Amino acid sequence: MSAVFRLPAYLGVGLVYLYRYTLGVLFPGGCKYHPSCSQYAIDALREYGLVRGVILAGWRLLRCNPWSLGGVDYAHQQRLFK
Amino acid sequence: MILFSPLSPLEDLLRNVLEWFHGTIGLPWAWAIVAVTVCVRLLMVPLAVKQIHSMQAMQAHMPEMKAIQQRFKHDKQKRNEELMKFYRDNNVNPAAPCLPLLVQFPVFIALYLVLRQFSKHPPGGDLSWFGSLVPDITAHANAHWSGYLLLAIYVGSQLASTYFMSTTMDKTQRTMMMVLPIAFVPVLVNFPVGLVIYWVTTNLWTVGQGLITRKLVPKKPPPAPKRSSRTPPKEVAAENKDGAEPKPIDEKPADPAQPRRVKRKKKKARR
Repeated sequence: MSAVFRLPAYLGVGLVYLYRYTLGVLFPGGCKYHPSCSQYAIDALREYGLVRGVILAGWRLLRCNPWSLGGVDYAHQQRLFK
Repeated sequence: MILFSPLSPLEDLLRNVLEWFHGTIGLPWAWAIVAVTVCVRLLMVPLAVKQIHSMQAMQAHMPEMKAIQQRFKHDKQKRNEELMKFYRDNNVNPAAPCLPLLVQFPVFIALYLVLRQFSKHPPGGDLSWFGSLVPDITAHANAHWSGYLLLAIYVGSQLASTYFMSTTMDKTQRTMMMVLPIAFVPVLVNFPVGLVIYWVTTNLWTVGQGLITRKLVPKKPPPAPKRSSRTPPKEVAAENKDGAEPKPIDEKPADPAQPRRVKRKKKKARR
């Protein structure tokens, strides 16, 4: 992908970093997965672009609920988009 | 206003809830905010209970977890990976999930919007808190000395709540999470006092919940599996002794004495 096409994804990555150092600090919490949900979002945005990255990150957030088991789950292991 | 239009239903909802607490129940606005905060946290209690159960279940696996932490002491990535794998295999996970955290954000943003509206068009009723101590909860925190007092309480409560919430984090991350709220104070000074009230309430709730969790989850793992964790180091120590022959006179009397002492201490603790 050329840099221009990647720009929206990088904007998304910037937003995740913004979250990390603002709301993420004010509302501290953990994550059941490795890497954490915010890191997963950054990886997914970088690898799959804005639209697919947001969908993947959203799906991951939904999975990071009290009833899930957590575990190791990297963005590149996703099976939603092939 | 156009920018925030997607959030206006939320703002209206929270305003209605606040008005219900103020109008029907008869609470002053500040206490209505506290009541809303308590309601949000009450809704999240079942999630906390689930986490406490998971933490209790984890106690039985403490030795294995410590072994993993020791094995990958210097590789943070691999350590986290192995720990997560271990949690999954054993059906326990002491870490808090991310999703419930998101529940708090909309409430928080809606409260900010409602308080902004209140400062523009003051609603009827008492906007102070604790009499004249906090004169106006819609004013910025730097408008009155009590705002600074509240911010100081906020920082204290934030540190305490981070302390309880970050138990599964590693040290550097934990330190950063503890230091950053202090750096936020210059920004928070421009936030309405009502929002600080929300923060203090929710943080204090977290601290209370953390204290209860501590009581329910014993810090010491059950004795039986801990013994098995102790055997390998003994063997390792024995091997070392065989390898290093010139020093046995100094080491031998000290080594067997140590575990015995620990065992005695443990028996006392169990009684």
